[in-house]
Amino acid sequence: MDARLDMFEDVNTSPSLEGDMSIPGKRTTTTTTAQHGVPEYNTLDEPIRETVLRDMRAVGIKFYHVLYPKEKSSLLRDWDLWGPLVLCTFMATILQGSSSADSMSDNGPEFAQVFVIVWIGAAIVTLNSKLLGGNISFFQSVCVLGYCLTPVALSLIICRIILLSTQTRFLFFLRFVTTTLGFAWATYASFIFLGQSQPPHRKPLAVYPIFLFFFIISWLVLSHN
Amino acid sequence: METPTTDDLLQFRDYSATNSGTPAQINVNSPTHATVGGSGSGSGGNSNAQRQRGDPLSDLIYDMSNSAQTIIGGGGPAGGSGAPADGAAGGARLSFLTMEYYQQFFNVDTYMVLERIVNSMIPKRAAANYLRMNIGENPDLYGPFWITVTLIFSIAISGNIASYLQQANDSYHWHYNFHLVSYAATCIFLYANILPAVLWALFKYSLKPVDEADAIETDSASYTPSLLSLMCIYGYSLAIYIPVSILWVINISLLQWLLVITAAMLSGTVLIAVLTPALRNSKYSLFLIIGILGAHIILAAGFLLYFFHSPPEAALAAKPTSAPPLLKDALQKLSTQAVAGDLPPGNITG
Repeated sequence: MDARLDMFEDVNTSPSLEGDMSIPGKRTTTTTTAQHGVPEYNTLDEPIRETVLRDMRAVGIKFYHVLYPKEKSSLLRDWDLWGPLVLCTFMATILQGSSSADSMSDNGPEFAQVFVIVWIGAAIVTLNSKLLGGNISFFQSVCVLGYCLTPVALSLIICRIILLSTQTRFLFFLRFVTTTLGFAWATYASFIFLGQSQPPHRKPLAVYPIFLFFFIISWLVLSHN
Repeated sequence: METPTTDDLLQFRDYSATNSGTPAQINVNSPTHATVGGSGSGSGGNSNAQRQRGDPLSDLIYDMSNSAQTIIGGGGPAGGSGAPADGAAGGARLSFLTMEYYQQFFNVDTYMVLERIVNSMIPKRAAANYLRMNIGENPDLYGPFWITVTLIFSIAISGNIASYLQQANDSYHWHYNFHLVSYAATCIFLYANILPAVLWALFKYSLKPVDEADAIETDSASYTPSLLSLMCIYGYSLAIYIPVSILWVINISLLQWLLVITAAMLSGTVLIAVLTPALRNSKYSLFLIIGILGAHIILAAGFLLYFFHSPPEAALAAKPTSAPPLLKDALQKLSTQAVAGDLPPGNITG
């Protein structure tokens, strides 16, 4: 208790050097940010567990918003790339062709190919909407596109479970339906989030690349066997 | 310019440089900025600055007639100079590092893109001056880029479905071939970028010397397109292969070849018709026509042979990446033709 950092902005409010680290507004605002993008909470004196949990909760809330696309602002306002990174790594790990088993006939994509398709694809789609004159920042759009992969990733998990049994035509049909549902869901969610950023006469031009992006990834999911 | 008069407050500024979209721009200056605006108009046209400024109305008429002359005189040769910055409608040159510089290539609306796609499929639909008035005025890269990307994936996906259907009845455990995407991407991007560049260079190289007698006729009917216009036209001309590549899944050889010929003829005819003003200007127009049509048909045939006629499984197991022998023969034949028929080399890479 002898030497402590003083975190107050205004020196006049604390005449002595001794004081506690509590900042007004620390407990009330957890995930929101101030107008200038500076977090209002103070993260110096909290346990690491709390920090990690708070960030994970923010990521989880975004997953929820994608699966239930009603409220737009949270996904667009505080973007992060953790969710996209997790989803993309997960999908690329599952989708990569097994080179060890029988390398002759398995011509699936490499890990890096899936990874690059997702990230470069999202970047190109975003760049396209920027070039068409959309008023959305680059990482906001990449964040939304990445998080909107959630339904596709879910359909990938279901397909993977279906693939454990012996394949019949009915099971293929089931996989097809699952993937189509995931694709439609992802496209719809990203349209809800990104559709407003374009002028109306160019909206189809901006939506088509998003459609194509999810279509390609869904194709990868469906044809994975 | 010491005391701002009425014509300094409301003045027309004209750009004698390559302005294709908005010829005149109203510049309403506040009195404090009057000198800046005046010097700007002085750089725009010398005669304009040294002219005695009197009546605002006569000034306005003078400036408008000036800019009209700029359009009439500078429209043809300026449009053909080939620099991508020709499309800059604002008159001011933008740095190529800014987003706005690239936004001018994406300055299209939905109906415009659809119109261009339809025009690239149906012959005789576009007007005679389509190249100059429509494409040349506002060449976009949106359509070409996304048509190419769509074509790459539609060919890769349909090729996989076709091979699945061909092998579905056997007990063979089917695996999809992701590498088709890489091959399709390589050959389509090469076709859509290198061929326009070669064509552009050939147009430049083989420009007919203009006679004094033909000067008027040449000015009105012929037009050398910029590189960007050529890339735009070529990108749109690939659009017809997207539905065709989906139809190629139907494994009937006659139907597939019929589709190849129909598609290549339709969009090749449009290419020739659209490029007629430029071809008329060239010394080797016959060779160029043969080259354009030949490259288009060969591209379609190459797609069909490589992506849809699956090689026998033994050959696939032995060398999964090598081209089927039929295609190799076709390519060898092609390369000899290319030397003979003055084909651009871009199409052989498929």
